[in-house]
Amino acid sequence: MKPIRLAAAALAVIAAAACAPSNPDSGSGGGKANAERITIGTTADVVNYNPLVGNSRTDTWVTNLMYPRLTGMSVDGKRTPYLATKWEYTDGGMGATVTLNPGFKWSDGKPVTADDVIFTIDAVKKEKIGIVAGLIAAYDSATAVSPTEVKFKFTRPDGTFLDNVGFWMPVVPKHVFEAQPSVQKFANDSNWVSAGPYKLAKVERGQRYVLERVDSFPLVDGGPKTKEVVFRVYPDVNTEVLALRNGEIDLIANALPPALAKSVEGDSKIKSVKVPSLGWAHMQYNVKRAPLDRLEVRQALAAAVDYEAIRRVALQGKAVSSNSSVLTPTLKQWQDSSAKEYTFDVAKAKTLLTGAGFKDGNGDGLFDGLSLRMIYDQADPNIAKWAQMVRDSHKEAGIDLKLEGLERNTYIAKYQARDYDIYAGSWAIMDNPPANLGLAFKCNGFINYANACDPALDALIDEAQSKVDQAAQKGPIQTAAKMITEKVYDNVLYVEEFTIVHSAKWANFDVQPSELLSIVNPRSLAQATLS
Amino acid sequence: MSTSVLDTTLAPADESAGRQTWRAFARNPLGIISLAVLVLLALVAVAAPLISNYPSGYGESVLAAPNGEHWFGTDDLGRDVFAQVVWGTRVSILIGLLASLLAIAIGVLVGVAAAYFRKFDAALGMVVDLSLSLPVLPLMILVAALVGPSVRTLIIVIAVFSWPEVARVVRSQALAVVPLPYVSAAHVIGGSHLWIIRKHILPGVAPVIAVSVVLTTSRAVLSEAGLAFLGLGDPNSWSWGTILHHAQRSGSLATAWWTTLFPSLAILLLVVTTTLLAVAYNDARNPRSR
Amino acid sequence: MKATARFALKRALRGLLTLWFAVTVTFFLLRLLPGDPASAVMDPTMTAELRDDLLRDYGLDQPLPVQYWNYMVQLAQGNLGISFRQNQPVLGILLERLPWTLILTGSALLLTVVLGIPLGVLAATRAGGFVDRVIQVGGITGQSLFVPSIGVFLLYTFGVVLGWLPIGGAIDDDVTGFAATTSMLRHLILPCFSLVLIQLGAYVLTLRTTLIDALGEDYCVLARAKGMPNRRVVWKHALRNALLPTTTLVGLQLGFLVGGAVLTETIYAYPGVGRAIYEAVGQLDFPVLQGAFVMLAFAVIAANLLTDLAYGILDPRVRTSS
Repeated sequence: MKPIRLAAAALAVIAAAACAPSNPDSGSGGGKANAERITIGTTADVVNYNPLVGNSRTDTWVTNLMYPRLTGMSVDGKRTPYLATKWEYTDGGMGATVTLNPGFKWSDGKPVTADDVIFTIDAVKKEKIGIVAGLIAAYDSATAVSPTEVKFKFTRPDGTFLDNVGFWMPVVPKHVFEAQPSVQKFANDSNWVSAGPYKLAKVERGQRYVLERVDSFPLVDGGPKTKEVVFRVYPDVNTEVLALRNGEIDLIANALPPALAKSVEGDSKIKSVKVPSLGWAHMQYNVKRAPLDRLEVRQALAAAVDYEAIRRVALQGKAVSSNSSVLTPTLKQWQDSSAKEYTFDVAKAKTLLTGAGFKDGNGDGLFDGLSLRMIYDQADPNIAKWAQMVRDSHKEAGIDLKLEGLERNTYIAKYQARDYDIYAGSWAIMDNPPANLGLAFKCNGFINYANACDPALDALIDEAQSKVDQAAQKGPIQTAAKMITEKVYDNVLYVEEFTIVHSAKWANFDVQPSELLSIVNPRSLAQATLS
Repeated sequence: MSTSVLDTTLAPADESAGRQTWRAFARNPLGIISLAVLVLLALVAVAAPLISNYPSGYGESVLAAPNGEHWFGTDDLGRDVFAQVVWGTRVSILIGLLASLLAIAIGVLVGVAAAYFRKFDAALGMVVDLSLSLPVLPLMILVAALVGPSVRTLIIVIAVFSWPEVARVVRSQALAVVPLPYVSAAHVIGGSHLWIIRKHILPGVAPVIAVSVVLTTSRAVLSEAGLAFLGLGDPNSWSWGTILHHAQRSGSLATAWWTTLFPSLAILLLVVTTTLLAVAYNDARNPRSR
Repeated sequence: MKATARFALKRALRGLLTLWFAVTVTFFLLRLLPGDPASAVMDPTMTAELRDDLLRDYGLDQPLPVQYWNYMVQLAQGNLGISFRQNQPVLGILLERLPWTLILTGSALLLTVVLGIPLGVLAATRAGGFVDRVIQVGGITGQSLFVPSIGVFLLYTFGVVLGWLPIGGAIDDDVTGFAATTSMLRHLILPCFSLVLIQLGAYVLTLRTTLIDALGEDYCVLARAKGMPNRRVVWKHALRNALLPTTTLVGLQLGFLVGGAVLTETIYAYPGVGRAIYEAVGQLDFPVLQGAFVMLAFAVIAANLLTDLAYGILDPRVRTSS
């Protein structure tokens, strides 16, 4: 009698819950892909719907479909028209003008105008929102010349402004966001007003995000081809791939780990797309700490890394060499063909260390008093792998390397406090060298993880930033990059080649660089069709 | 001394009970097999360096299926899975055992104190019950994440959230021992609390403790695997959970079965045999199921 | 009747005390461990002004006892605070996940009891025999399985190879009525099965042990001596008494079950509270973490209270002995 009562209670719970979370929308059952819908797998939920604040990958993928940026990006990192049709510097780099495409409308019917752009950049500047705020230090003010033309004024010549703002800053609707006491704190979690190819219609946290087509989207003739874009959450990449093989999802937004990417190559129902990274994977030596303040030591460390093996084994060949330069092969217009990779030479590393006064007194094969801590994000599968390879090759050279694979938050806390000897990580997007090198290598730069402070280097970067055309920036930037390599301020290991997989049923994606854009960028999803 | 009389009168009965238990135990094939497997696992843990090289570096044949050279295949860095499982035995058992011992120490202390000093019983019993109602795994995840993953953190975290179970079991057993005539007699003759606890209560709960050590160890091994799987393991050492974590991160759970099967089997083997051992021992001790 | 009311009141008070304890432990745990909430809401790019502003918003500028008091007051009003990361009320975030956790753990618990009782009885009545050994080994093996390994195997077999069941999630999009129920059940099968598999052993073994004890009690021996059929003795007399400790175990393991579903929910992409907690740890979203712990503790305590009351009313011995 007692168990039956329990059973009845449990049944009641199930029956009640069965009705609660399902939703009464019309439809014909089954989540299978058809021309009406493309289903995309992601490993995490959307954390924040405010495009100016959200910074997880899923946040970016979803909000990118909703909020336009001034410019898009081609596969080699060049800017392409998006909300803006034309952009140029004025007054010798003291200002810029941007012309907007008059075809863009917010989903509530209002046109996207110069006022929206000005409202967004002013809010970012005023509330110091995210990385964009750090990139527009030279921005002073903006005026709307007409509803489709914005004029920006700078406090100093800045040749990086248009690239930065164009790519990094999503434009938000002034008439919605200005009603908020703080743009930064606005959750933007319902009644979305957006202007991208898709608008968010339904959220089931932990499960799916459904976006509907915006017919008026001007960048694709006749509007987006697919009616709905659905993001589904699979916290485990193994399950996610099974769902793709099963046909339950059509595309996986996150790049697959190299070994897994290799294993699906033989599957005729799955297609792989190669997407170049806009960043690089690297180790940075904390030059504020002894003995890493000494160039010979850093050179020895750089010689004790088997770069080729890391790319071949840890990355399964899904990476290219950057020739130890911060100007990567993805950004062809910046690349320096004379750059050469550090050579892997254990004997040379030992000679350098002996020359620097290190000895192996106790004969344990390791130099005495040379034990270094390297931190990395435990959750990054590639780094976790090559960190072990670096540790082992360092050991051959007599260097004791202690790995600290940290849980993400601890990792962030440590690198923000610069509490490490060696930092291992990777940049996702370094799309504009003059701007990015400033953040990463100038004294007290926001992301200067080497703690480097070299006036000569700062001068070169400043010079490049003040030039308004790429041709003039290239010279000083290449010199700066060479200096970074020579002084080992950064040890660039490789540039990853992401593998994005989708069902062979789909075609006509537009490939853009980096995992954030790849084939889930707005243009790509708007133009994709069944093959 | 007068107490020695009590001791001698009790001793023969104890001995024969012990022998009876052992005979009953020896009749149960499951218990004997489990014991043998556990001894084997312990040997593997101790003799790991003799069995295989420490898994390090990398190999050119990545994710190779089991073959003559690599009995358990290779992982996504071309390292031998067999070597990882062998060395993982060491760390997994070490974490399990130390966490268990720590948990037992706290649990026995609280359990015995609650049963012996009756005035603390209500309060301690409440604390134990309350601790048992906390969601354990999420709390372990939280603490491990905030403190930073290492073997030491894992041991402490697992122990801190495992002791209430032990305390509950020990308390109920000790409650049965405390009112026994020889304990009261010890009181009467003026034995100190500590002496009585050491001499009479602890031996009385010893069988329960023995079972608890075994069960808590196996549960700790599972907890460690779960935490390591979620990325909260010690990156500088190999445990079975770490191997599974690598397999999960590299996405080879479904494509390279050998990277998950063998560590999973190792966990299964350890947990099953320890539990069976505990059950067999309990059955052998209980005259009703003998 | 008076005794029953007193008993109920006592248990309810005890439940409240337990809740207070759970809230307090997690509150201080979250604040005394290394990564503290204040550093979690701040960003190094923020201006000092904004930083102070944020700390004030979340009440983190107050001393710890004041924060604790404020939290308790808030909690008493049913307010779990605002998420650091999502800028939304925590209660709403969690309530969206709770039904799924209840469905998953509720159905798993139900199945475990339904399967566990006959298996436990079978093992106890054949103690020492072959069937007993098979049940023991089976139960223990299930208990020792590592959920992610078994999960991927099941998904691969039933989802990809056979194509019978969906891969992950809790329900299909755009389904209503009967279709919604079937869709939900189809998504539920594998995760529920995994949970049953790993917890069935504990119930079967506990029931087996207590039943063996009960069968040795005088009243059972007497009943058999009086010629009552063995089956009747087991089901009518021994089981009634053996169920008590087993039910206590159900209650105790509930917290373990709900929280322990993290791995299951992760591998099966099931949108429950356990996964929300794991994600909140990753984002250091303290209000969500705190709220989730409160909610879990509340669910466990409520369930325990109900079983306790049911038992206290049905079995007078419990009432008097507590």
